[in-house]
Parts: sequence; C-alpha cells; structure tokens
Amino acid sequence: MAPPGQAQRSSSPSQPSGKGEVSDLKAQLRQLAGSRAPGVDDSKRDLFKKVISYMTVGIDVSSVFGEMVMCSATSDIVLKKMCYLYVGNYAKGNPDLALLTINFLQRDCKDEDPMIRGLALRSLCSLRVANLVEYLVGPLGSGLRDSNSYVRTVAVIGILKLYHISAVTCIDADFPAMLKRLMLNDPDTQVIANCLAALQEIWTLEASNSEEASREREALLSKPLIYYFLNRIKEFSEWAQSLVLELVAKYVPSDNNEIFDIMNLLEDRLHHANGAVVLATIKVFLQLTLSMNDVHQQVYERIKAPLLTLVSSGSPEQSYAVLSHLHLLVMRAPILFSSDYKHFYCQYNEPFYVKKLKLEMLTAVANESNTYEIVTELCEYAANVDIPMARESIRAVGKIALQQYDVNAIVDRLLQFLEMEKDYVTAETLVLVKDLLRKYPQWSQDCIAVVGNISSKNVQEPKAKAALIWMLGEYSQDMHDAPYILESLIENWEDEHSSEVRLHLLTAVMKCFFKRPPETQKALGDALAAGLADFHQDVHDRALFYYRLLQYNVTVAERVVNPPKQAVSVFADTQSSEIKDRIFDEFNSLSVVYQKPSYMFTDKEHRGPFEFSDELGNLSIGADAADTVVPVHQVDANDKDLLLSTSETEKEDGRALSSNGSAYSAPLYDAPASVPASQIQSDLVNLTSGLSGHVPAASLAIDDLLGLGLSVTPAPAPSPPSLSLNPKAVLDPGTFQQKWRQLPISLTQEFSVSPQGIAALITPQALLRHMQGHSIQCIASGGQSPNFKFFFFAQKAEESSNFLVECIVNTSSAKAQVKIKADDQSMSQTFSTLFQSALSKFGVQ
Amino acid sequence: MPVAASAIYFLNLRGDVLINRLYRDDVGGNMVDAFRMHIMQTKELGTCPVRQIGGCSFFYMRISNVYIVIVVSSNANVACAFKFVVEAVSLFKSYFGGSFDEDAIRNNFVLIYELLDEIMDFGYPQNLSPEILKLYITQEGVRSPFSSKPSDKPVPNATLQVTGAVGWRREGLAYKKNEVFLDIVESVNLLMSSKGSVLRCDVTGKILMKCFLSGMPDLKLGLNDKIGLEKESQIKSRPIKSGKTIELDDVTFHQCVNLTRFNSEKTVSFVPPDGEFELMKYRITEGVNLPFRVLPTIKELGRTRMEVNVKVKSVFGPKMFALGVVIKVPVPKQTAKTSFQVTSGRAKYNAAIDCLVWKIRKFPGQTEPTMSAEVELISTMGDKKSWTRPPIQMEFQVPMFTASGLRVRFLKVWEKSGYNTVEWVRYITKAGSYEIRC
Repeated sequence: MAPPGQAQRSSSPSQPSGKGEVSDLKAQLRQLAGSRAPGVDDSKRDLFKKVISYMTVGIDVSSVFGEMVMCSATSDIVLKKMCYLYVGNYAKGNPDLALLTINFLQRDCKDEDPMIRGLALRSLCSLRVANLVEYLVGPLGSGLRDSNSYVRTVAVIGILKLYHISAVTCIDADFPAMLKRLMLNDPDTQVIANCLAALQEIWTLEASNSEEASREREALLSKPLIYYFLNRIKEFSEWAQSLVLELVAKYVPSDNNEIFDIMNLLEDRLHHANGAVVLATIKVFLQLTLSMNDVHQQVYERIKAPLLTLVSSGSPEQSYAVLSHLHLLVMRAPILFSSDYKHFYCQYNEPFYVKKLKLEMLTAVANESNTYEIVTELCEYAANVDIPMARESIRAVGKIALQQYDVNAIVDRLLQFLEMEKDYVTAETLVLVKDLLRKYPQWSQDCIAVVGNISSKNVQEPKAKAALIWMLGEYSQDMHDAPYILESLIENWEDEHSSEVRLHLLTAVMKCFFKRPPETQKALGDALAAGLADFHQDVHDRALFYYRLLQYNVTVAERVVNPPKQAVSVFADTQSSEIKDRIFDEFNSLSVVYQKPSYMFTDKEHRGPFEFSDELGNLSIGADAADTVVPVHQVDANDKDLLLSTSETEKEDGRALSSNGSAYSAPLYDAPASVPASQIQSDLVNLTSGLSGHVPAASLAIDDLLGLGLSVTPAPAPSPPSLSLNPKAVLDPGTFQQKWRQLPISLTQEFSVSPQGIAALITPQALLRHMQGHSIQCIASGGQSPNFKFFFFAQKAEESSNFLVECIVNTSSAKAQVKIKADDQSMSQTFSTLFQSALSKFGVQ
Repeated sequence: MPVAASAIYFLNLRGDVLINRLYRDDVGGNMVDAFRMHIMQTKELGTCPVRQIGGCSFFYMRISNVYIVIVVSSNANVACAFKFVVEAVSLFKSYFGGSFDEDAIRNNFVLIYELLDEIMDFGYPQNLSPEILKLYITQEGVRSPFSSKPSDKPVPNATLQVTGAVGWRREGLAYKKNEVFLDIVESVNLLMSSKGSVLRCDVTGKILMKCFLSGMPDLKLGLNDKIGLEKESQIKSRPIKSGKTIELDDVTFHQCVNLTRFNSEKTVSFVPPDGEFELMKYRITEGVNLPFRVLPTIKELGRTRMEVNVKVKSVFGPKMFALGVVIKVPVPKQTAKTSFQVTSGRAKYNAAIDCLVWKIRKFPGQTEPTMSAEVELISTMGDKKSWTRPPIQMEFQVPMFTASGLRVRFLKVWEKSGYNTVEWVRYITKAGSYEIRC
C-alpha cells in the first residue's frame, strides 16, 4: 500500500504521471469488480487506499467513480467505509454519477448489520445533491424507527442534513415533529442530544418564516422540557452535556427557589474534566443569577477555582480559550478578583497571546492593596522580555497609574523606565507620561525634569514624538531649552513624515510663543511658513488658522490655543456597556475570544442600521482619527473649544467681531458654565495684563509673519448644475468611515438655524427624521445641548455619487457648522445649497 | 449554536494537507489556502490560536509536526472545539500505539477518516471514547494485519455499549492477576524574585491510573485532603488522626467518578475504565514544599566579564534523590568563553539557547552543590546598557515526593466475585515552570 506521501512525491513533479496512475487504477479496479476469488478484498483494499490517498492530496480521481461503485458490492466493512468516503467526496460535483450510488446505498440501509445501516444512511445524507432528496425521505424515516440506537443517532443528524439541502422536503415529510417525539421518548441519550441539536437548528432557521416554528423554538425552553434534560444530565456524554447546558442557560426560571434547585443540581458539573462542560455550567450559573446581585457575586466566588484550574491545565490553546472567559469576568468585576492577582503573573515561556490577556487582567484588578506588587511585577516584564511584551507592560503600568489615586510610586517607576535608555521603552513611557500629566498636572515638576533630559533624536516613533512635543509646548516655561528643541525640530520639517507630529509641532510652537515670545518668534514664523506649504490638508489648515488668528489678535489666539486647562478625570472607555453585555450573553463562544458580539463577525447584513447610542462613540472617534484633526487642546477634554476653534477658521475677516476679544468669552467659556461671568472677566483682565509685558514683541512678530504675503482667495464656484438626491440612499458605516478618511473637505460653511429649529432640537433624533424627509440620511449622531454633532450622507439620484457631511449644531449660537466631502467635487456647492435649505426648514412647519 | 467545527484539516509543517474532512457546507473548499496564506506564511503563526479570515474563524493547534485546523463560520464554542481536538488526538494516539505525527497520519489515513466520521457528525461531537470506538472501529492501525473476517459479531453489542450507563467500560473483562497502578504526578510551578521571595507558587497534580481488573469493580480512593478527612471524621464521629492534611484548591474528575457522591460524602468512588486513564486533576496553592532552593549571584565585572555563582539546595528528605536535574542560567548573547567549577554534575555553555547548562543526574536530598562560572564577553559597541536578565530555569524529577504533601490513604476495590487485587502506588514531582529571577 502506498502512503499518500509517496503518492504525492511521485505525482507532484508532473501532473500527467498522476493521470496515468489514475487510469492504471481504473483498469485494475475494473478487473477486480466482478471477481469473487479469495483474497480479492485485500487487493481491493490496497486499490481503494490508493484512490483515497490521491483524493486527499488533491488529485482528481472522479474518473474511477463507476468502477468504485461496481466494487462496492462487498461485505467488508472497511472497504465499504472507504467507498462511502469516496462517494461522499465526489457526489456533489458529479450529480449524475451520484445517482449510481443511490441503489447500493439504499440497499445497505436495509442491511442486517446495524453498523452498515448507520454508515449507509450517513453516506446517503452526505451526498448533498439536491435532486436526490426524494431518495432520502424513506431511509431516514425508517432510520428514525430503527431498533438500534446507532442508526437512530445517524438518522437524526441525517434529517438536519436533509433540512440544509432542502428545507421544504424536510418540513413536508413532518420530520421535525418526529424528532420531537424521539427527543422525548428515546432511551438513548445520544439520540436525544442529537435531536436537540437538530431541532434547535431547524426551528431557529424556520422561525423567521413560520410562526409555528418560533413557537416550537420557545417550547424548547419550557419548564417540563428543561427539567427532562436536567434530570438526565449525568447520562449524557460530555459533549451532549455542553449542548444541554447551553439550552438551560437560556431558560428563565419562575422563581428563586427554582434557580437554586438548578444550581444545586448542576454544581458538581464544575468538577468535570471537560472544560467545555465547566464553561457551559458557569454560563448557566451566571445567566440564572443576573437579577440577584448577591448571589451573582457568590457565583463569581464559586467559579473562580474551577476557572483557574482550567487555565493552568491543558494546552496553551485551551487555556487561552478559558483565559478569555476569565478575562471577561475579571473586566466585569475586577474587585472580586483583586486578591487573585498572583494567578495572572506571566511565566517566561508562555505565548504572547496568553501574556497579553494576563497583563490586562493585572491592570484591571489593581487596587490600593496590591498595586505595589503588581507594578513591581510589571516592571520586571518591562525590563526582561521581548519588545511587544515590554511595551504592553509599560502601558499597563500607565493604565494603573491613571486608575489610582496614589500615583507617587508609579510615577517614579515610569521615570526609571526613561533612564533605561531603550528606544521602545522611552517611546512608550513618553506617551504615558503625557497622559499622566493631563490627569495629574501636579506631577509636572518631577516629570519635566526627567523628560527634559531626553534627546529628541532618540525618539522616533510618531506617537512618542508627538507626546514629547506636546510636553515641550505645554511646559515650555519650565523646560529651559524648549524653544531651541522645537526650533531644531522645525528645521527638519521636511524629514518629518508623520502629519500627527507636524500638527503637534505647530501647536507646541504656538504655545511656546505665548510663553517665551522673543525666543520662539523665529521658530514660529518658520513653522507657520512650513505648515502653509505643507501638502497635508490638515497641517495646512491648522497653520492657516493659527496665522489668521495671530493676525487678528494675539490675546485671542492665546485664549484659543493655550487656554487654562482642567485635568482629565476619566479617559473615555472604548467599548460601550451595551456591547459588553452582549458579549456576556454570548458567554462560552467565539464572541468572548474576539471581544465583540457575534453579529460583528458572523454576518455582515446584521450589522444593519446604526444605533445612535452605542455606535456613535466608535464612529466619531474613527472619523476624527480619520481626518486627524486632533488638535492638542482637544485632549484637554474640552471638545467645545475645539468646535469653536474650527468654526473660527473659516470666519471671514469681515465678520463683525468686537475688538476687545471679549466677544469670544461667551461661547468659549460656555463649557465650564459653573464659572461666573464676572470671574471670567477678571481672568481675562489678568491675562491681558500679564501678557502686556511682551505684547509689543509678539505683535512685532506678527508683522514679520504678515510679510509672508499670503493671499487666500476662495476658488470660484462652478455654475451649479441641478441636483436631485436618491431618497433611498444606503451606505454602510464602514464605507462611510473609509470615504470620510479618503476624501478631502470640499466645502466648509456655516449656516444659521432658525429659532424654531433650535427649539425643536431637543434630541438629535428630531433633526434626523427631518433630514431624512429631504433624502439626507444620518449615519451617526450625538452630543448634548448646546452642541450636537451629526454625520449625514446623501446619494445622487441617477448615479452612486456620495456626499458626506459633518454637521455641528450649536443651539446657543443658533449656528450650524458644516463640512462637506463629496465623490464629485464639482457638485458640492449645489449640494451645500440643498443641505442649507433643508436645514433652514427644520422646525418651521 | 454550539457547533464545534465545520471542517477539520490536518496539515504538515509545510502546509500540505494530510487529511481534510468537511462536516458542513457553510465553509468553502479553499479554506486551507486561506490558512496557509494568512497564517502559516506570515508572522501571525503562533501569535494567536484563534483567527478570523473573511467570514470564517480558524482555530489551530500544533501537535508534534502537525497542525490541526478547525474552521467554523458561526459563533462556535471555542473551548469545546479545542477540547475536541485534544480528545481526538489522544484517541488517535491510542489507536496508533502512542505516537501522533506526520508519519503516523500518513500510515493510518484511512483509519483517521473512519474515526473522524464517527467522532463528529455535521459539526456536533459524538462519541470520542476509545474504549467504545475500539469495539466497532475494528481496523487496528497498520501495526497488525487485518483479518478479513466480517466483523459484525461484536457490533450490536458495541452499539448498546456506546450509550449504556457505564459507557466507559465494557462487561465481561477477565484478568488472571488483578492489578491497579496508581501514579500521583505533580508539577511545581514557581516564580521567585531576585530577592528570594516567592511571587507565585502552585502545584498542579494529576492521578493517573492503570487498571487491569476483572468484571465491574467499584473503587474507592481516600486521600489525606482536608475536606475528605473532616467529612470522614464527621461520619465516623472520631477525631482526625494527627498527621498532615492538605487543602485542595480545586479538583476535576474523570467522567467515571460519581460526582454526586463526591459532593455529598467527599469520597472518590468510581467504576474505572479498562487500561490507562487520568482519574483526577487538582490544584494547590497553599503549603507547597519546594524541593529546591536556588541562590544565584551574578556579578558583571566591567563590560567583558561576568561571574556567575549558583548554589542549589535540595530541601527534601536525605534518603530521597532527584533525577535529571538541569539548571539553565541565561548569559548574554555575546558570550565568548566560559569556564566552570562545579561540586557535582557537569556544566557547559549552550550557545543555541544562550545559557549555562548545569546537569546533575542524581541529586540527593539535603545537599547543596554549587557551580561557579566565569563568563567572558565580546565587547560590543551597540548594547551600551546592561543586558536584561531572563530568569534561571530548572528541570527535575523527584520520585516518591509530592510537593503538595498529598498521600493516598487507601484504595479499596470491591467486586462481586470478591477477588484479591494488588495495588501499586507511586509518587513523582516534576518541575513545571520553575523560574528564579536573578
């Protein structure tokens, strides 16, 4: 007999030799087909093995189909199995040939040996040829009634297969009802389990088009049925147990006593050696007790030990699957695991995917009592192991620092990282120090002293560089040579590939300018010039904005670019609680490993219409990141001044503004509304007086800058062709984000919103419905009074040309600031008019 | 839907398909190509055992020189899928006589196809018990030639067995000599800081059994664990005898163990399968006896020289001894020359793993051999800062010693014919991940 390896080697150099061998086989099989000589089965076996080995390595042996079928008349069970395997593999591609096999398979279904009956029935159902389904109904029906349980288990799954080939045939033959009867009456638990699996699939799929099916599906969760399964749970095989437990997890008991009964009954399952059973039991416990807070907590305590055992035994892959679930639980209730932190210490040889989960758990469970140990451990990883691990560990230390109130010790540790003088460690640490300073400005003295010693030449990663530059700008008064470092960075403007870094550089040099004008003047001029010449749209825009702002009024510019900051109290969570709950509901499945609910990765059509509440966060983050308008002061968690500053950009100089700049204070200080207006005024006075010392220098600088001689004339709008929109436009969020990222802004405008409109805009939804009436669809929206943010899109009626709109409505100023991006740039002006007219009608009728 | 697999593939390290089995039509035929393209031929390999490519999810596992890949298109039960693979492999091993690798698969591919058909149907795991399957998957691996007799005789019997009350044991077994072998195998995991404090320490143990018993015997196992003893003294209303008791953090049992009885009476009682099986697994974190203490001192003398001193102390009884002790002390990559002095065993420098490897074949208890080594380094310009020291790792086996202190108090065998049995009990403690930072 030839192992497939040899077969492959001999055939792979040239395909024809494979063909030659196939025709050889064909002849030999034909010879044996009719023979009844003793020992003929053994030679058949060798030939069959060859055929199957060819099939496995991918050589097409369908040409011997006829001969295989002829040879199938044998009582040798191994021969039969090989023949069934062969037939199952090729029948789908050769439906005509498959017809040949029906005969002998049907005959085998009536064989006296139950083994052969079962095998034949399974093969018959595995042919997967739609026009042969009529031949399946009879054997399946008798298979269900077979006296032998092996045949019945096969027949039950066979019915499920039939359903997937032809649902109508399956339903018409009334098989689901038969399965239900069998499920309730069969003595064999494997038959019962298979019935359950089959019925769950069939009724779930049928439920969408038949009410009866959805009723039946509900009935699976009825009390008598659940108890029927639970009472026999120990008789089921370990795999069937997971199936049953999965069903029980969906059951809603009528009262607490019932919940405790079920849990008592299932408690011993937590000692089962099969991790799938343990996880399924845990799911039942968690789901049953969701409404009972204390018991739910006790459940966490109870399942801790079994989970930790599962994690520490078995292959890394198995422990990863379990660890993902543990991770989910730890993230839900970190406090309950805070004393178990040592279990999350990483071993040196563990794979990175395991270590990463453990790091996240260590981060989550850190509290006052264990922070010292955990951070010490994390520092070991930062110094000891591979680079991705070191990076993750440093991030983890940073996250803990941001969670804790007592950050003293952690700050020291972070600063020690900077002294390690490893590029990647420095890079990660810088980003963290930046975040830390935003939350705890009181640490600036300590941090700045160390950060000041870092040579910017050693920092190459954009994120780290941006962080360093931010600190240089923010703390330029404390860092002696900040202006000079910035200056040297600006000299190398051309070599700086990351637009993020260039944006930060612009802002930092502005901030530095306000604090130390004489030293920074030249650098600022160079930076603005370089920024205006930059090919990147956002860098260009920001430079232009700063330039005009300075030109208008230096004091105002300082208020905009470098306002007093509030420390960030909480950094935004990336995942909404609704998504987390959905993942929790899908415990013991892939969702937990991927950390997203199943609809996000199984089927695209279910991703459906965006929900306003839970998806907005993601989208607007994505959109912001996409156009990288992340001005430094946005990080000050003061989104409103960002909005304002952008709207300021495009204000024409002619717009009436009171000259003392206090006109700005109203909208600008809208956000910290708790500050009384009088105080703002006095703040303002202080600031101006404080600045007055170097105002001459600053304005001198402006004069220099004006010498750049820039003239920006708006491009003449093309004659507007008429535009009609597709009322049923569709665009999925992914495409929207992608387009938003790719397309340049073709138009930015500001509209007034009618007072009635403002009045009607209590929630974002009101405007959405209105705009929908004008064929402009909303893809995401959010915000609270006075600022609302919307993303709209519209499509041209005749062709699929899209318009994308970001619209920010400020209800207190009754203005809407609109950014339009379009596939077809020439139409954007027309669309803008249309958009404006739609918006102006809002609330009027 | 808790489907465990839509398709399963066995690939060799080059990515050639050894075996493929499509269970459901919801995944395409070119899944292997996707796996090869996106996982095998990229750095992704080994970064995560669960990956999504297109609409399908791939779970993969490497076992010796074979990749086993499971493909699903739905939100499958991951834990179940991995467990299925592990169980399937142990089933194949029991068929092939212990080995599972590329050659074994190539030599037994027909058998594997047969088994794959039986153990899973349409993505739902069916029966994976070797005991039962061996009754009706009669084709032994290529080890023994097949007798061409029709094998329908044991079959009806077998199919009843498949789902009977004692699914793991068949009736009518008979042995001349009734014997039970019981092995307690523990692995100690240790993580010790450079200052000598224990950061993390636990023991994962398992009890392996080999039974050659006639009929349908009932077995009862007594251990010196705290809960079991307390329960027993409660029942018999007499105080616990003095002696060490230990606290098990968690236990899992083979399916043959009557869990209800364990929960109520805290005794381990069971009808064992025939032959070899894993009776239970346990985990202990409190009161672990570490068999070895490692005291390293590593001095960096300037940029090109290092002095390594390691003292290893065995803290188990003087009459016992450890076997196969290996201590690996990491040294920098640019190590040029090493010289050693050891009071026991042999030491050498292994450049492939950048370690000084000190081996001691037989290590008696209550002794403390030392190794002192001088390491010369090539001076390099690049790494100006000190090298990050990976932990010292240790391997060993200590027979007749349990790090947890677990002991078998009794093993009772009861069978209706009342035969006598011979019981053999062994203990062994191995190093799991035994790491000492320096």
